[in-house]
Amino acid sequence: MAESPAFESPVVKRYKAATGALTLSDASAATKWLVRGPEAGAVADRLGASFGSSCAAEGGALVLGSRPGEWIVVGVPGAVAETVAGIDGPEQSDFVTALDWTHGRALFRVTGADAPRMLEKVCSLDWSDAMTPDGAVTSASVAKVTCDIARNDVDAKPSYLIFCDRSFGQYLFDALIDAGDEFGLSVAPADP
Amino acid sequence: MLLVPCPNCGPRNWSDLRYGGESHARPDPATATPLQWRGYLYLRDNPAGWLRENWYCRSGCRRWFTVERNTATNEFRDPPMPGDKRGAKA
Repeated sequence: MAESPAFESPVVKRYKAATGALTLSDASAATKWLVRGPEAGAVADRLGASFGSSCAAEGGALVLGSRPGEWIVVGVPGAVAETVAGIDGPEQSDFVTALDWTHGRALFRVTGADAPRMLEKVCSLDWSDAMTPDGAVTSASVAKVTCDIARNDVDAKPSYLIFCDRSFGQYLFDALIDAGDEFGLSVAPADP
Repeated sequence: MLLVPCPNCGPRNWSDLRYGGESHARPDPATATPLQWRGYLYLRDNPAGWLRENWYCRSGCRRWFTVERNTATNEFRDPPMPGDKRGAKA
């Protein structure tokens, strides 16, 4: 695996960090890989998450079934490397591609009881527990930006991971701050 | 608001999709006449009623699919359900 250059977040503005009931944090520095392959087969079995769901891999990385035959693996570098190691190697019988997305995608985390109501302001999907329970993964337009969204609750509080193209990162971060303003959103320190 | 039934993502707001126009069978390139190609490429039925059409789920699963929509009422007939492969564009 080639060594990645030093990471620079797409969120370059400075925000006063605080913690409140509803928080938004920049988690873009997390390692992100995109894996594409057949919907069913050895790779799908190995990653374990079907379309629309997520699961924790053995090494601790989070595997998201973002689209049919497409997975996002996110986490700390070692855990992600363990999950994707050899997944697209020549010994695979299926046609599989694995791409390091770390520098190409922004990743934000919104956490708090009002997070579903905040998301409803910028996204047309139903964010109720019945439709998007903990572990659900979907793709949709958020503030007019196509995003992959995964519900990944923290301490029994609704929490969402939002992935978008890096070039939209600063815009989307500001749009989420605007949407969360009425719920008392505060910007939390960046996730390591 | 028009809710389009994506076979993978379920009902989605039309703004999450791209309209792909009427769905026609592609003529066989080996035997089609120029007139048939012109009809396939440029002519549309444009009915006020049921129409078989293509949609692209650009913000969701990024798959093409085909559904039947009533252009007068925006009603969908026998829409494909999530996981249903009937709607997958050939």
